[in-house]
Amino acid sequence: MGLSFSSLFNVLANWGKEREVRILMVGLDSAGKTTILYRLQIGEVVSTIPTIGFNVETVQYKNIKFQVWDLGGQSSIRPYWRCYFANTQAIIYVIDSSDVERLPTSRAELLTMLSEEELRGVPLLVFANKQDIKGALKSGEVSEQLGLDKEKGRQWSVRGSCATKGEGLEEGLDWLVNVLQNK
Amino acid sequence: MYHLLSGLYQQLTRKDEYNVLILGLDNAGKTTLLEKIKTLYNPTPGLPPDKIAPTVGQNMGKITLPSTILQFWDLGGQRDIRLIWPRYYDDCHAVAYVVDAADRERLEEGWEVFENVLSAPQILDVPLLLLANKQDVPGSMTVEEIRNHYEEWFQRRQREHAAALGPMSPTSEVPTAERMASLNVQGISAIEGTGVRDAVNWLFIRVQNSRQRRDGNS
Repeated sequence: MGLSFSSLFNVLANWGKEREVRILMVGLDSAGKTTILYRLQIGEVVSTIPTIGFNVETVQYKNIKFQVWDLGGQSSIRPYWRCYFANTQAIIYVIDSSDVERLPTSRAELLTMLSEEELRGVPLLVFANKQDIKGALKSGEVSEQLGLDKEKGRQWSVRGSCATKGEGLEEGLDWLVNVLQNK
Repeated sequence: MYHLLSGLYQQLTRKDEYNVLILGLDNAGKTTLLEKIKTLYNPTPGLPPDKIAPTVGQNMGKITLPSTILQFWDLGGQRDIRLIWPRYYDDCHAVAYVVDAADRERLEEGWEVFENVLSAPQILDVPLLLLANKQDVPGSMTVEEIRNHYEEWFQRRQREHAAALGPMSPTSEVPTAERMASLNVQGISAIEGTGVRDAVNWLFIRVQNSRQRRDGNS
């Protein structure tokens, strides 16, 4: 009973407020997460340094405010990703499509993350980034390598992108907005 | 007393959930169909057709009908992604197979894939709807033409199989005729929405019927 009151209270408290969605953006180091974040926020390519810890920015897109958490991707800090899982409404996973060697690592990190109870059913958008580099895998190939075929309970989509040129990012977000609105 | 009433209420408002797979070649219009269904049946509209990119992944959509929830799964149709389809066969209650009726060149490829889906044992007793999409495109094939094309393709394939196996091979004429009769073909335009409600109604009725049959058997 207390629970239903508090959820009612939450509904009332959020009345009229703009919808804010908490999104985690993760992936191996140098996949291009921070570049994507600032490309989305200010529409420019900023020079980035490897993220230790996280960047968090609010991105206004359509009628939704995305609170995007860009978590550092180096192996030493990947274990801390899980500290941010609670209340996540969507995951953006970024992959360097030209880094074929580390794709199995990327896959393992992703599948470990998706098996977490807190992230059950949360929609997943994968950016197969760095499409401008020669030899980069296409979205279909990336999806095959990732082995997401066991993810029946969630909506997922793999999109080719090029963060430095801004290609594919908006299309990906359109998909995400649509999924979140219809949930 | 409370429990009695609440139990009664729950019984009356109970909604059964059914899973419908939307399959077909890439560019057949599966995602456009799914988004159109969402737009027609849900308060929040789906993606407009110009925002839809080739699906690498899985889209879902849920619509509520009287005492029933239909959960649609739209899976990517490109060659690599077709490999994941069979994972969904186990708990699907109906299949809508979409073909691009304006793309004559890829029809045969579409039938090959269709045949593959049909041959899965889990799909055997599941209601199956063949949708001839893009009826809005001038020169697209009609429902009748699509049906004939499939029948001809299938007969030819049977003959080729028989020839490969030699003259003593068993004929499978009867099941073929049965299957042709039970195969339902409908024309739609996913972009304009024509025929989409008819298709959903058909699926709705058929999953209900198969439930009754199941309940009757148990």
